[in-house]
Amino acid sequence: MSVTHDLSRDRGAIREPDDRPPVGRRRRRLSRRVPPVVWLLLLIPFLVETGWVFYPAFNSFQLSFTKWNGVGVAQPVGLRNYTDMLSDPIFATALRNNVFWVVGFGGLSVVAGLGLALALNKPRRGIGIYRSAIYLPMVFSLAVTGLFWRVMYQPDGPVNVVLAAIGINTKEHQWLADPNTALGAILVAAIWRQAGYIMVLYLAGLKGCDPALEEAAAVDGANKWQRFRYIVMPQLKNVNTVIFAVTVIDSLRTFDIVWAMTRGGPYNTTQLLSTYMYQVGFTLVNLGYGSALAVVIFLLAIAFIITYLARATRED
Amino acid sequence: MSIPTPSRVNLTRRGLFAAGAVVGGSALLSGCLGASPTSNGASNANVALTLQSSLSDPKPKAALEQVVKGYTTYPTTLNTVAIEQFRAQLSTYLTSSNPPDVLTWYAGSVARDYASKGLLLDLSDMWTGNGACAKFSPALKSLSSDANGKQIFVPTNYYWWSVFYRKSAFAEWGVKAPTTWDEFMALCETLKGKGISPLTNGTGSTAWMASGWFDYLDLRINGASYHRELLAGKHSFDSAEVRKVMDTYATLIPYFDPKGRSYTWQEAATPLINKKAGMYLIGAFVTQAFPAADVDDVDFFSVPPINSSVPSAEEAPTDGYFASAATKNAAATKDLLGYLASAKEQQLFIAQSGSSNLPTSSEVDSSGFSALVQKGMKLLASTQEITQFFNRDSSDALQATADAALTKFLDNPTQVATILTDWQTAAKKVWGS
Repeated sequence: MSVTHDLSRDRGAIREPDDRPPVGRRRRRLSRRVPPVVWLLLLIPFLVETGWVFYPAFNSFQLSFTKWNGVGVAQPVGLRNYTDMLSDPIFATALRNNVFWVVGFGGLSVVAGLGLALALNKPRRGIGIYRSAIYLPMVFSLAVTGLFWRVMYQPDGPVNVVLAAIGINTKEHQWLADPNTALGAILVAAIWRQAGYIMVLYLAGLKGCDPALEEAAAVDGANKWQRFRYIVMPQLKNVNTVIFAVTVIDSLRTFDIVWAMTRGGPYNTTQLLSTYMYQVGFTLVNLGYGSALAVVIFLLAIAFIITYLARATRED
Repeated sequence: MSIPTPSRVNLTRRGLFAAGAVVGGSALLSGCLGASPTSNGASNANVALTLQSSLSDPKPKAALEQVVKGYTTYPTTLNTVAIEQFRAQLSTYLTSSNPPDVLTWYAGSVARDYASKGLLLDLSDMWTGNGACAKFSPALKSLSSDANGKQIFVPTNYYWWSVFYRKSAFAEWGVKAPTTWDEFMALCETLKGKGISPLTNGTGSTAWMASGWFDYLDLRINGASYHRELLAGKHSFDSAEVRKVMDTYATLIPYFDPKGRSYTWQEAATPLINKKAGMYLIGAFVTQAFPAADVDDVDFFSVPPINSSVPSAEEAPTDGYFASAATKNAAATKDLLGYLASAKEQQLFIAQSGSSNLPTSSEVDSSGFSALVQKGMKLLASTQEITQFFNRDSSDALQATADAALTKFLDNPTQVATILTDWQTAAKKVWGS
């Protein structure tokens, strides 16, 4: 190590006076060389990231092959946590619910957000009020949204009262206590919040669309749907990529709203992988199995994102 | 030719790395410092004590703050952490290199579990001679002992579970508290006939409330020792004994307010307060939910006996403190524990926290306590057996299996056979792990 080091220094020392490149080349090389302060600025976040993100993440992978309750030494158990998952009925429910959630939450919030964006894109009087009103739920945290909707769904709460007022007798239906409606009821609350966010993203995308193209298509006789499908949508491609990534990540990490509304109940029928992981890891302090669940969530998210990004970049 | 001057680059990188390590390292360190408890009276760091508390409800929190303020022997810092976070981090607290000296928690299996791993300070000398706990009851002593007979816990207050009701409501309806199981069932029928929900319960997001009736029915039908053994894994949830408990539980289902499935325990108290529901099997902490003016109207009766051949038993969850085995100053820690266990401070805490908890010290002057609390003390003094509660007599992991099984049972009582089989399967995993 020290030998190479000295050699290189010698070579540099010898070379320097003779080998001086012409001024122009030297300046180019200098400008290409990254200034030390940039390295410093990059290094600090890198170290912070290493200490607080990569290292714990790596740890979590390691923990998923052990049995550990936070006390003493973790016992290695090989793949047992993963094989246990196969026979765990709650894991199966959580996985099924997660598929339902990704499709339902992702699909409906994008459809609702896009619909709202199209409806509210054209400037007209008071449009700002509508946009703000629809975006407003986004300013509440998901935990607050969950508590708010929990009250809405109470047997004698506003949802049942309103339904009764318009002639639908729900017999004081217990939306969150009935396994058949609980997850759907949570989904409605989550979309209520997410749709405004997606709407804002699409509104920004629509602002970037060239109105002249749409007008030209209209002149050529394209109907509304054709203009939307063949003129507007292709221009929204970049926004779609962002929205897809955001939606998949948001739906896989959904936790707080379910936890605030049902805690995975009644009898684990609304568990998502995230809430089940939290329950196993932090309420029951079964860190090995909890980490294994976290790894599964991570792999699912990565698989989704990579597949999509690979496809998106290939198309480019 | 094109080789850049590696030495300079290397040196710079290395230097930068060192600088970065220093910066990052100090950031990490300060992160640790921020998370670790610091003392306010830092004049002598060796005797500064930390008390980590899970009492995050406003009144108990303020009460403990007041108690700690009165302690002047050693500078003491009180850290209050929300209970869910406290539960999740408890093992981290106890295994950290600089643990809090004293922690609030529960007596029984949880404390014993930590003691078996050598994480708790041996407090046996506080239970002998002139020790602060020497005069506590033998039942409390055995509850505070680990598997080797050492005491590792300082109980400072406890409360009882019973069927709570409003005296004025019972008077309005012309009924009185039952003393036998048949009378109880007849009372349920009478109240139902009047259009009142006989029983209320909050098994929504506080699903553990469903274990209250399970525990009591098991205590009344199979007895306390069977119940303890069941929770310890010595019997099966799929057994004929448990089936009998569930069959009795099923007879109660028509009398529960059906909306309770959506309620928390706090929300389920509202129908009781509003006289829409008659009775509520719950801990004495339910009085917190009552408006101050109505607290005197609250009364209770013990769940009536079902099987006369089993000894009487009540649930009395016991709260208190344990200390970390890694405390830097065991003598000061015990001094603080002794202070917290003293009759005067127990009384101050109970008075300020607004709950209906009972003191563990018999020297507390109970004449100032409400009639309800005095009745509770009498109930626990006269019962033959004391258990705590499902999770405290077993583990939080087993509680999770009970929550799923019992709430499902309350919705689908006819599926009891499969529910019990599934419960036993889930419980076996907990015991086996």
